[in-house]
Amino acid sequence: MKLEIGRIYIKDIQLGNETSVKDGVLTVDKDGLISNLKEDERIRDVVIDVAKPGEKVRIIPVKDVIEPRVKVQGGNNGFPGVTSKQAQCGEGRTHVLYGAAVVTVGDIVGFQEGVIDMWGEGAKWTPFSKTYNLTVDIQVAAGLNPHTHEETVRIAGLRVAEFIGLAGENLTPDEVLTFEIGSIFEETAKYPDLPKVVYAEMNITQGLLHDTYIYGVNQSGILPALLHANEELDNAVISGNCVAACDKITTYQHQNNSVIYDLYAQHGKEINFLGVIMVPEHTTLAGKLRASDYTVKLAKMLGADAVVVSEEGYGNPDSDLLMICKKCEKSGIKTVLITDECAGRDGMSQPLADTAVEAVAVVSGGNVSHVVTLPPADKVIGNAAAISVLSGGWEGSLLEDGTLMCELNAVIGATSEIGFHNVTCRLY
Amino acid sequence: MKNLIITNNPAVAEKNNNTVLFVDGSVEETLIMVRDKVHSGYELISHPLAASLRMMFSPFRSVILGKKSNKIDAFSAEIIEDSIIKYKRHMDFRKKDSANCEDYKMIDLILLESAIHEQAVTW
Repeated sequence: MKLEIGRIYIKDIQLGNETSVKDGVLTVDKDGLISNLKEDERIRDVVIDVAKPGEKVRIIPVKDVIEPRVKVQGGNNGFPGVTSKQAQCGEGRTHVLYGAAVVTVGDIVGFQEGVIDMWGEGAKWTPFSKTYNLTVDIQVAAGLNPHTHEETVRIAGLRVAEFIGLAGENLTPDEVLTFEIGSIFEETAKYPDLPKVVYAEMNITQGLLHDTYIYGVNQSGILPALLHANEELDNAVISGNCVAACDKITTYQHQNNSVIYDLYAQHGKEINFLGVIMVPEHTTLAGKLRASDYTVKLAKMLGADAVVVSEEGYGNPDSDLLMICKKCEKSGIKTVLITDECAGRDGMSQPLADTAVEAVAVVSGGNVSHVVTLPPADKVIGNAAAISVLSGGWEGSLLEDGTLMCELNAVIGATSEIGFHNVTCRLY
Repeated sequence: MKNLIITNNPAVAEKNNNTVLFVDGSVEETLIMVRDKVHSGYELISHPLAASLRMMFSPFRSVILGKKSNKIDAFSAEIIEDSIIKYKRHMDFRKKDSANCEDYKMIDLILLESAIHEQAVTW
């Protein structure tokens, strides 16, 4: 399977009367976009705005972040199985408005968090302070049930990414990346001496605000599925979860999964990268046992020597992570785990809800309990009332001038468990 | 076979009144009730913790138990004990998010229903 990603560098974003990219400036036809979105009768109103790096702007509560793209060769445009007819993702050529992002905003429940600060202290912690963001605040029609409300906002964000992505259709990209891996037999014949590595990506799949979709299929109802690494890089996977702000994998992060990028970079050099197993994180213990058994079985069938496992969320998914680890290691398959830590404010507590002696190679994405102080913004996009939800929930965490103290938990992408973020580890 | 739901969420108790053991108290007291039941031989069907830190701030929690047997299920016992330790570590210094009680009740109920729907347990 061969995929070309053509990056068109975006250096600014503005609202106007047409949607185009000229000299790196993305202009968005605001009225055209709003009327396009309102074709969905579940949408009552849409507020479009922009937020640029360095501006004293806070976006809250963020639901999802999506990279605008267009398919120029092969497959179908948009998100196959969701906004367009089913097609194979991961082949042909896709143009990306690189540096731009669609950020959907809106309360589905009152306790939603998820902040992006475009400046100062807050900007240090989220990768989406560096993107030129088109914010889309969706107000839905009265009387929608919570599931329909969530779906409406989720699909609207994808449609916006598709709408503005079209501006890149006929442009010459500034950079073209090529992702090509053949069948496991071909690659193993090419690299007989390299260790065979599988990536197991765990995704939250536990119900409303806690779901992930592959080609539009809710992952909660399926067994772990094997994907070619290119599929996720090409719009096959969508986020439907908007509670775990710091470590949820936004759609943008699925489209640019750092683990896949890094494994690709080592393919044919250090490792033979076999593919991606998408692992659902169930609520029930039976589901956890089944998904971990099935993941290890797939890894064994593929002849994997090692599995890199990334987690999504915190709490009950820790059990899944360590079940996969223990079962792989007992089968002779080495594991590297990527997670984040809930290690208390000083970072000294036990980081996960579960432990295992087999977990000897663990990469941390950061401590979600680390406290940050965020000064007030000049402008708030979204719902300013959500800021009180964001604050730490202890005495003195929200000051009169609007300065708030919160845990990294509330900051979008702050402790990404697929490594798409700003935090790094250092040995002392 | 019917499951036993242990909950402090009134919305769950209202909908499932014949299979619920309602705890008129906190999430911690609910988890302790789950632990006591596990130690009396019930097995855990759903994990006692949620999947995100924000849901850990919820004032409501529902946990599904399965069959009661004559001996303790060690796997269930280990999970509930670890979960209580983890829960207390987070919540001992923190106020519960009571401003959004109604939304937390609703999401706890919806996530519970998803868990029940996930797999009908008949063993």
